[in-house]
Amino acid sequence: MLPSEKIAIAAHLHVLLRRKTGRVTDTEWMACNAEYATEIVGFARARAKEDGHADLADWADKLEVAMAAPNAKRPGLARYLNPETAPHPVMVTPTVTVGLNAGKASEHRYISGIR
Amino acid sequence: MHRNGHRWLLAAVLCSSLSAWAQAPTHPMLVAQDSLNAADTAWMMTSTALVLLMTLPGIALFYGGMVRRISVLNTMASVVAVAALISLLWFALGYSLAFTPGNGWLGGSERLWFSGLDYLKEAGKVAVSHAAPNVPESVYAMFQLTFAVITGALIVGALVERMRFSAMLWFISLWSVLVYAPIAHWVWEPGGWLNQMGVLDFAGGSVVHINAGVTGLVCAWYLGPRRGYGRMPFEPFNLGLTMAGAGLLWVGWFGFNAGSAVAADGRAGLAMAVTHIAASAGAVSWMLGEWIVRKRPSLLGLCSGLVAGLVAITPAAGFVTPGSAVLFGAVAGLVCYWGATGLKRLLKTDDSLDVFGVHGVGGILGSLMTGLFANKAVSGVSGNVLTQLMGVGVVVAYSAVMSLLLMWVTKMIIGLRVDEQSEIVGLDISQHREHMGN
Repeated sequence: MLPSEKIAIAAHLHVLLRRKTGRVTDTEWMACNAEYATEIVGFARARAKEDGHADLADWADKLEVAMAAPNAKRPGLARYLNPETAPHPVMVTPTVTVGLNAGKASEHRYISGIR
Repeated sequence: MHRNGHRWLLAAVLCSSLSAWAQAPTHPMLVAQDSLNAADTAWMMTSTALVLLMTLPGIALFYGGMVRRISVLNTMASVVAVAALISLLWFALGYSLAFTPGNGWLGGSERLWFSGLDYLKEAGKVAVSHAAPNVPESVYAMFQLTFAVITGALIVGALVERMRFSAMLWFISLWSVLVYAPIAHWVWEPGGWLNQMGVLDFAGGSVVHINAGVTGLVCAWYLGPRRGYGRMPFEPFNLGLTMAGAGLLWVGWFGFNAGSAVAADGRAGLAMAVTHIAASAGAVSWMLGEWIVRKRPSLLGLCSGLVAGLVAITPAAGFVTPGSAVLFGAVAGLVCYWGATGLKRLLKTDDSLDVFGVHGVGGILGSLMTGLFANKAVSGVSGNVLTQLMGVGVVVAYSAVMSLLLMWVTKMIIGLRVDEQSEIVGLDISQHREHMGN
């Protein structure tokens, strides 16, 4: 699933939670942090059951499914960067490859310290 | 006859020196308003504003950019609240305890609630401190207030993302009165016992940086690591903010160091020059170290290196030459890089934003180097490494023991950490019901 699709679901849940329970959440964090998403899904379900908000439970389910799905890259960009599927010949330089893996590299970088 | 003339001259010089010594003020006092130096006063007021700018928004941006996006506002709120609280405590207690004579261990009560900081228009009198007789005491007290503020704000970096907001405020308030004020008295008040022993600290290498660094390390250890520390990445929110904060720190440090000359004179000018040179050398040496070790120079490394250089030159700014400043910065850049990486791994403590690695290590290094490089031609005093080492040891020990004790007291009264759910959700929402926006 695309990160933007996850953000869309999280944003929907954010609006519902705010309207129906007054709870303020962080949409972007919800769409990228599984632990936080699980916390919010649990809260939404509990309040849905308590107050009878069926739509809240539905969107909590949707977020749970979305968070379980792996992140997909934008298909257009992936196709363009793959020399075999690119619409015209492209030179994939090491810089571009590093760029695609930058998220992974920075993830390792910030474990056990910021510097 | 000629010899007798020399004797008379010598006797006259001795008498005049003794009389000047006898008249040297030892207490705050009222003087004629026209005895103040307008240039010194203007520079001290400017410096005060510059040092406050280092905290608000300097430290707030510097730290806010380094934490995860779920706790940025909490980090910034902590810095603002600490600044406001310490200001009030300094006005009520801190200034008097730190900067009135009292005894060698603690100041007296004559300036509690800023009492006696008079400006008497009709009588043409104004209060001055014995430590700064050229400027109004109100200006000197405010200048020192900004130092108390930034020292407390620095500690925030070690506690982020897991400490209860209320607990943090209680701890830092107690700490400011019971740890910062006594140490400032020992080192900076002319009758303070470390000052009497010849410990050199021009602008706060030990009072501010070692003190904040050691406190940060002890608090981080006592508090325990953030949930997931060492297992998951803690992505910084926005290193652009950190760079803006570092820039403000660099500029504000001119007030911090050159302002500590307490005059608009040649020594202040030299302090400003060595400050800039050390910051530059620190940035370059950290960058080179990182480039060699990690194959990439980082923006955060440059920002950290410049701060390391500034920290190291702080105790030495009014004692050393520009040539020595290059060495202070270059060594500090590399040693603090190790402090924030290798040493951090050895210590196994989640000092989240490396308050000890940069401020503690840089402060210790700078204080010891001051003993080696203090130039008699610049200030009239020469350094002694053993004396400096003793000063460092005393500040480290007092700061560590008292911080542990105060953390324990705070834990007993209100508890230290947020609960697990609040930590997962983030402190912006759990502590303030605010978030960064989408």
